[in-house]
Amino acid sequence: MSLLPFLLITTIGATLALLLRRHVRLAGGLGLTALALAIVAAAAIRPDEVVAVGGDGVVTTAYLRVFLLLGSIVGFGLALVGAAAGSRRDATAVSLAILATSAMALAVPDPRLAVLAATTGGAFGVLLTLVPSGGRTGATVGILVLRATVIAGTMAIAATAWIGRDLSELAAQPVVFGLAYLAFALAVALRFGAIPFHGWAARLTDAVPEADLPLVTGWAPAAFAVVALAWIDASIAPLLVDLDAVRAIVIAIAIASIVLALVAAWIQDDLEHIVGYSIVGDAGVVLLALAALSPEAWAPARTWIIVFVVARSAFAAWAAATRATFYTGRVGDLRGWAVRAPLLAGTFVLVIVASIGLPGLAGFEARAQIVDVTLDGPLQVLVLIATLAPLAYYARLLLVGLARPDPEAQGPAPWRPILTPLDVTSIRDWGGRTWAANRAFAASIAALGLALVAAAVMAGAFGTSEAAAGLPPALERAGEPIQPGQPEEPLPSDDVLPPEPSSEAP
Amino acid sequence: MNPLLAGVALAIIAGAVVAVSARLARMVVLGVALVLVAAPLAADPLTTPLALAARFIGAILAAYLLGMAIRERPEAGLLAVPTEGSRIGWPTEVLVAAAAALVGFAAHGLGAPAAGPMLASAAGFAVAAVSLIPILTGRDVFRVGVGLLLLLASGTLVRAGLDGTPGELEQLLTSALIVVVAGAVASLALSARLDGPGGFAFAAEARSRTRRPSDARPLDPR
Repeated sequence: MSLLPFLLITTIGATLALLLRRHVRLAGGLGLTALALAIVAAAAIRPDEVVAVGGDGVVTTAYLRVFLLLGSIVGFGLALVGAAAGSRRDATAVSLAILATSAMALAVPDPRLAVLAATTGGAFGVLLTLVPSGGRTGATVGILVLRATVIAGTMAIAATAWIGRDLSELAAQPVVFGLAYLAFALAVALRFGAIPFHGWAARLTDAVPEADLPLVTGWAPAAFAVVALAWIDASIAPLLVDLDAVRAIVIAIAIASIVLALVAAWIQDDLEHIVGYSIVGDAGVVLLALAALSPEAWAPARTWIIVFVVARSAFAAWAAATRATFYTGRVGDLRGWAVRAPLLAGTFVLVIVASIGLPGLAGFEARAQIVDVTLDGPLQVLVLIATLAPLAYYARLLLVGLARPDPEAQGPAPWRPILTPLDVTSIRDWGGRTWAANRAFAASIAALGLALVAAAVMAGAFGTSEAAAGLPPALERAGEPIQPGQPEEPLPSDDVLPPEPSSEAP
Repeated sequence: MNPLLAGVALAIIAGAVVAVSARLARMVVLGVALVLVAAPLAADPLTTPLALAARFIGAILAAYLLGMAIRERPEAGLLAVPTEGSRIGWPTEVLVAAAAALVGFAAHGLGAPAAGPMLASAAGFAVAAVSLIPILTGRDVFRVGVGLLLLLASGTLVRAGLDGTPGELEQLLTSALIVVVAGAVASLALSARLDGPGGFAFAAEARSRTRRPSDARPLDPR
C-alpha cells in the first residue's frame, strides 16, 4: 500500500515534533525533514490501491496523490518561509498532522469516517495559537478556532449518519434531506470562516503569523470540503428532491463571502488581514460548488479547491516575506516596496496570476464553470465579476509598492544574498550570522518558489484537472458509496422524483 | 427496553450534567471521563472488544490530558483553579437534559427506522443540549473545551442511535479525534492558566479586533 509510507512519515514526524517542542531547532529541523520526505512519499503514491480494514477500507486515488503532493510541497515551503520570517514552534508538526489526517479523510470511502479524520486535522490547527508569553490571548483565540472546528465536525457527523443508513422506509417529508445537506454545507462554511461565520478566522489572523495562517483556514478545511463535496454528490444531488430553499441559503452565504470578503480585504490596513479575507473570498466559490448539486460541478470544484489553497498559501508566503523584508505589515508603511524589493515584486505578480488566472487556465475555467453551473441570469455575471475583483486589492498593493518610498521609513532588509566574511575559527557563529543577514532573502526565495508552484497549478500542472475529474474512493463491495453523477435508487416516497440517468458523470 | 442500556444512558447524562455544573475542575474531568467511557457502550449490539478497547483508551487518555491541565503544582505556582461552573445551576441543567432526552427518545430515527437504540439518541440529545450552554455562553477556556468534548460525544451517540454500531476503523478514528480535541483543550487551558492570575478565563482583548504594532514580530519561533 503506497499510502502507508506517507501516513507513517507524517504521523511519526508530527508526533516527534510535538514531543520535542521544547527543543525548538531540533523539532523544527525534524519537522522540515519529515515534510521533505512527505513530498517524496506523496509522489510515490499509486492510485487505485485498496486495503480493507474490517468492513471499511482505505483507497488511493489520483486526486489524493495530487492533494498530498501539493500539500507537502506547500507545507515545506511555508515552513521555510516561517523559519526565515517568523513562525510558531508547532508549525511543522501541525503541517504534518494536517497532511496525515487529510490523507485519511481523502482515502476512506465512507464519509462518516472521512468527516472524523478531517475534523481531527482542524483540531491540530489550534496549536498554532499557543505562545509562551501572552498565553491567555492565544488560548482564547485557540478555543474559538476549536469551537468552530468541533461544531462543524459534529454537524457533519450527524448529517452523514442521518443519510448513511437505510432510508427505504422514510416516513418524514423528503425535504428533511435538505436539513442534512444544509448542516454539512454550513459546516464547511464554518470551517472556512465564511461570512457570517468569520469571527474566529478574523481573531486567528490577529494571532498567528502569515506563514501559518493557510494551514488552519485553507488546507485543513480544504480536505473537509472535498469530503463534503463527495458526500453531497453521492447522497444528496442524485435524489432530485426540491432543495431550492436550502440551496438559496448556501448560495447567499457563498455570495456574501465572495463579495464582503473582497470589501473587507480592500479596506484592511495590514497584510495578514488581506490574506485572511482573500482566503474567505475564495472559499465562497467552494460553497457555490456545494450549492450546485450537479455532477457538472464535481471536477471544477475539486480543481478549484486545490488551486485556491495553493495560491493563497503563496500569497501568505509573500506577505510573510514582505514583513520580514520591511519589518512591517502595515500597508501604509510599505510605500515603494515593489521598487525596493524586485524579488517580492516578481513574486507578487505570480501570486496575482495564480489566484486570478487567465482565460484558458485550469483554475480560471474551473471557477467560471462553478459559477456557470450554480447561478443563472444577471447574478451569474455579477458573481463572476466579483470573483475577479480581488484584482482591486492587488492593484492597491501594487500602487503602494510603486509609490515614492517614505524617506523617514526604516530601510528594508537587503533583498539580495549577503555573504558575511568567513570566520574559520567559528564556523557555527559565521553560519548564524549569515543566516540572520539573509533571512529576508531566504523568505523571499521560498515565497517565490511557492508562487511558481501556485501559478503552475493554476495553469493545470501536476495533473490537477484530470485527477479532480476522477471518481472518489470506493471499495468494491456491496452497498458502496454511489459515485458522483450516478443516480441512487429512488426513494419510495411520493415527494421524491426518480432520478434521471446522468450522461455527464465525471 | 434494555435495562443495562438504560443505565448506561443515565450514567452518560449524569456525567454530562456534572461536567457542566461543577466548579471543582476535578469533578468536571470526572464527569467528562464518565461520558467518554460510557458513550461507546450505548450501542446495540456492542462493538467489537478491539474497538471498545480503542474507545476506552481514548477516553482515559483524554481525561488524563484534561487532568494535566488542572493539576495542582504549588512548587510551580499552580494552585487549584475553579472553573466557571454553571450559571443556571445544576437543577436547571438536569431539567434541560431530561427535556432533551425526551425529545431524542421521541424523535428517534428522525423520520425513518433507525439502526441503533433509542436510548443512544436520548442520551445524545441530552448531552448535546447541556453542552451547548457552556459552548455558547462560556467565558472560560476549560469550560468551553469541556462543552466541545461533550458535543463531540453527543455526535457519536446520535450517530450510533441513527446508524447503528460503528465499525472498528470508525471507532479508532473517533477515539483519535477525542484524544486530539482533549489534548488541544488541555494545551489551551494550561496556556491560559500559566498566564498570570485569572485561571482559565478568556482574555479580554482577544474578544475584539486588535491592531498589531507596525514592527515585525520576533523572528524566532515561539
